[in-house]
Amino acid sequence: MSASTAQISDESTLTAQSPVTSHDSGPELSAIARPPQVLNNRGPLWVTDAVCSIVEGKTPLWWIIGISISGTFAGIGGACILYMICTGVGVWGSNSPCFWAWDITNFIFWVSMAHAGSLISALLFLTRQKWSISISRSAEAMTVFAIMCAGVYPAIHIGRVWFVWFLFPVPNNYGMWPNFSSPLLWDVFAVTSYLTVSSLFWFAGMIPDLAVLRDRATTKIRKFAYGIVSLGWLGSARQWRHFEMMYVLLAGITSVLVVTVTTIVSSDCATSVVPGWHATIFPFYFMVGAVYSGSAAVLTLLLPLRLAYPQLKDLITPSHLDKVCKLLLFMGSCVGYVYVFELFTAWYSGNPFERGTFWERFTGGYSWYAITCLSINLTIPQFFWFKKVRQCLPLVFVLAILCNVGMWFERFMIVTTSLIRDFLPSSWGNFHATIVDILTATGTVGIFFTLFLLFIRFVPIVNMSELKATLPGSQPSHNPTVGGGH
Amino acid sequence: MNYLHSDHEGHHLPVAGAVEAPLYAIGARFESPDAIVKAADTLREKGFTCFESFTPYPVHGLAEAMRLPKSILSLLVLGGGVSAILIALSMELIPSTLIYPLIVDGKPLNLMALPQYVPITVALTLMIGAVTAVAGMILLGGMPRLNNPMFAWDLFEKGASRSFFIAVEANDSKFKTAVVTELLQGVGALDLVAIHEETSESANRE
Repeated sequence: MSASTAQISDESTLTAQSPVTSHDSGPELSAIARPPQVLNNRGPLWVTDAVCSIVEGKTPLWWIIGISISGTFAGIGGACILYMICTGVGVWGSNSPCFWAWDITNFIFWVSMAHAGSLISALLFLTRQKWSISISRSAEAMTVFAIMCAGVYPAIHIGRVWFVWFLFPVPNNYGMWPNFSSPLLWDVFAVTSYLTVSSLFWFAGMIPDLAVLRDRATTKIRKFAYGIVSLGWLGSARQWRHFEMMYVLLAGITSVLVVTVTTIVSSDCATSVVPGWHATIFPFYFMVGAVYSGSAAVLTLLLPLRLAYPQLKDLITPSHLDKVCKLLLFMGSCVGYVYVFELFTAWYSGNPFERGTFWERFTGGYSWYAITCLSINLTIPQFFWFKKVRQCLPLVFVLAILCNVGMWFERFMIVTTSLIRDFLPSSWGNFHATIVDILTATGTVGIFFTLFLLFIRFVPIVNMSELKATLPGSQPSHNPTVGGGH
Repeated sequence: MNYLHSDHEGHHLPVAGAVEAPLYAIGARFESPDAIVKAADTLREKGFTCFESFTPYPVHGLAEAMRLPKSILSLLVLGGGVSAILIALSMELIPSTLIYPLIVDGKPLNLMALPQYVPITVALTLMIGAVTAVAGMILLGGMPRLNNPMFAWDLFEKGASRSFFIAVEANDSKFKTAVVTELLQGVGALDLVAIHEETSESANRE
């Protein structure tokens, strides 16, 4: 391999380096101009360097400490799962009548949290909300990892894990065929399809950026590894044409999933006759709760990330965080509306069982769960009406964590407090979490953060190619001879 | 090592790859999205069809300048989605209503029961549609292909993420080194190079 041409000098290559030359013709009204995607007039070269330096730089100490802690929790969680499989579901607190407790609570909690990532990367892409570009990659990563954490539970909570293949439509040698009219089977398909689609969306969108890492790789191992995963991407016009079409199609498919997955998950509860579950509002209830908790999770992840890598402050700007806060506010208000409406429906239905369940929920032994849930989710999002709150990032961080906690309590409240008080007082019972319950739950948190930390170190955490395409000056100025240029 | 590629008319170009291997293309680097769109447009006007443009991000108007047809990926995904609907419905309905007509929860077996088969159908349609989209993008884009003659040009290999490149392939019917060189220089190409296929021996020599 040889060439006599000069090396590309950083100064002279891209015209897009020269900032602020807006390619839009005509005067721009500064009053209604959108805030810039990237602060400080950074050019494409800076964006590439800033994002790649996170992967290429030395492993920071906090990363090693962080992954040791999260890895330990994940390991303990794994050990608990192994213990549970070897011993039986009795090591959990789930017992008659409360057969679903922390397992399904955590499953719903994680799978819901995933939804904000899909909404940010897919729905906002389709609606041409360009601000979402710089946070979409990390939001998608959050989606994929949260679904993985959710996926831990459905398989193990069935008790005899070795019969998990009963759930899949395998050829019928054993006289075993899944009941397609059961919402539990819908769940299997919904979650499998959600994990597949969001992983594909995440990976396929990353191919051009992985190719950038391949081109910049300095060691043989790096070049080989990134060479394999980038599949030989060249960035040719033909490849981009198919890539852009694929991105639109996947965004469309993922946007549908934002609505359908929680709808199907909510029908696990809603299609039963258990008071407190049997409600038509459940799909909407679960969906808004999902995006609400997911937006909070995005904030919880992005704020420390900006702190750890100061160069990201120009890419993930206060304006981005402000918009996620507003999303949180909107979805949180919807959640509040659903709470109030659910209570109203229980009262207005005149059904004594329905009324009894809700009365028990707020006055019985688990009232502190319901009261914590309502007091957090009705009040905390409302703080985001104030610009001062949205701009005070440490406060935003604390409030976002509180929202996540509130949503966990909500999932627990829905799943457990409906089950412990059924129609017949003879089948009433209680639920007490065991240490295995608790350590398995913290284990999933450990798995989530371990995966996220690995993501930070090994793949570009900002969608560089899409971001570069929207920088001022990165697109050709209008050229009438070429026709389609815009 | 630098070689000079010379044709019989005496034009000289720097060489990338193994000079003894057949010529793959003439590569050119451009400094701006405007320049590459103009170059692609000019090449197409002059009747070249076997050339490719490489950009670090999708440049609007470039595919139009190259007169590339619309991607057929959407059609493939439509096909994938429709077959997924058929697969899902037959997977659910044939066993549940024809082979093992079991009545569960008192739910009917006739068409009135169709809504209960919708969630799985939707989930499978979305999943197979997404798999088709990604597999289609990879295969239509000529991937996975880990070796490519373009990588012989070290300027491209190192700079594909920040510069704009065009490669006019030697198997174009109008290809003549002199004509292509002149044309590319006329539209403001910065670096011109003759890219040869990289043979296994030349790669090992490195």
